[in-house]
Amino acid sequence: MRKALSLVTRALVLTIILAACGASTIETSSAPGVDLPPTTADEFEVHLATLEKPAVVNVWASWCLPCRAEAPLLNAAFEKYGSELVFIGIDVQDNQADAQAFLAEFGLEFDHFFDPKREIANHYAGLGTPITFFFGPGGELIRAHSGVVDERTLALNIDELLNLS
Amino acid sequence: MEFTLLWAALTAIGFAWLGTRIWPERLPDHATDRMVGAAAAGLLVGRLSAMLLQGTNPLSNPGDILIVRGGVHTGTATAAAIATYLWAAKWKVANLDATSPAALMGLGGWHAGCLWRNACLGSGSELPWAWAQEGSLISRHPVELYTAVGLMIAAWLVSRLPWRLLTKSGVALALAGLVRLLTEPMRPSITGGPVVWYIAAIVVGLAAAIIGPRFSPGPSSPT
Repeated sequence: MRKALSLVTRALVLTIILAACGASTIETSSAPGVDLPPTTADEFEVHLATLEKPAVVNVWASWCLPCRAEAPLLNAAFEKYGSELVFIGIDVQDNQADAQAFLAEFGLEFDHFFDPKREIANHYAGLGTPITFFFGPGGELIRAHSGVVDERTLALNIDELLNLS
Repeated sequence: MEFTLLWAALTAIGFAWLGTRIWPERLPDHATDRMVGAAAAGLLVGRLSAMLLQGTNPLSNPGDILIVRGGVHTGTATAAAIATYLWAAKWKVANLDATSPAALMGLGGWHAGCLWRNACLGSGSELPWAWAQEGSLISRHPVELYTAVGLMIAAWLVSRLPWRLLTKSGVALALAGLVRLLTEPMRPSITGGPVVWYIAAIVVGLAAAIIGPRFSPGPSSPT
């Protein structure tokens, strides 16, 4: 019995540790079957500057396990706040085919860009994947969250953005 | 890598252990170990349930199970934790009563662990003890600390209840649901939160506390 409990306790600790890990004018179409538009950090910064609404920018990759875990939550947030905020996905260090499969699996319907060299996240000093950036209107970086974003964290930071506008 | 969830989990274990020291009466052997094991089982089942409800197959995506931040289903996690504890206690239901105050302390410790995770804040507030996120001007209720305090008061209340079968554990479940339900409106949420499960906990807990003593001729007597 004690052995079983010890094993379960170790599994809990391991689970918690692993859980903690972790385009100027750009074409923004991300329709199924269409390649995601490639973009650079400079182009993306200009794009953000044109936005009149705050933006939630999620950096993801199809090979990233934590990205899979947070994808349903991001979809739920987009469905709830899509009219008040701009949601953008940045697929990094990936290939187009795997990216399309990921988007199809999770049905992420907001706009996504392709950043194979991970320039955008590096530009905003974001470490690791996934990472979620919260921008005010006009592209002012308010906050960056490294690692899986949980519901409370996402909701709190969205509330902060909504109070800006 | 960051270890804030680990620190929060250790805080929960520490508070549960403290609860066993404050209220040791009739506790089974290795009560803290049993609670940690039950919590781990609840975490696993709750994570699997959340994945299935999100449309992710745990068999084809086993790695996703490890990402607990992706969501843990409150209802199934609670049921699995209670069932595992009962199994570990050889189905001696009265042991639930003995462990209830410490379990509430542990749950309160988990919420107090928000301090490690920088995740205590909820809806906006002008109250003097409210504070703002770093870089923000919006002060907010420290809702997770309210919850922690509420659960610890609940632990004390439960410890004062008479030893009748399922009275302490039933009331503990109901109070845990009530504290979470009362604080939920202050908690930022996208999905609305597991309010239905909080209400279910209150109903089931009170029913157990009312019905339980009828199945016991005398005071509950765990081993």
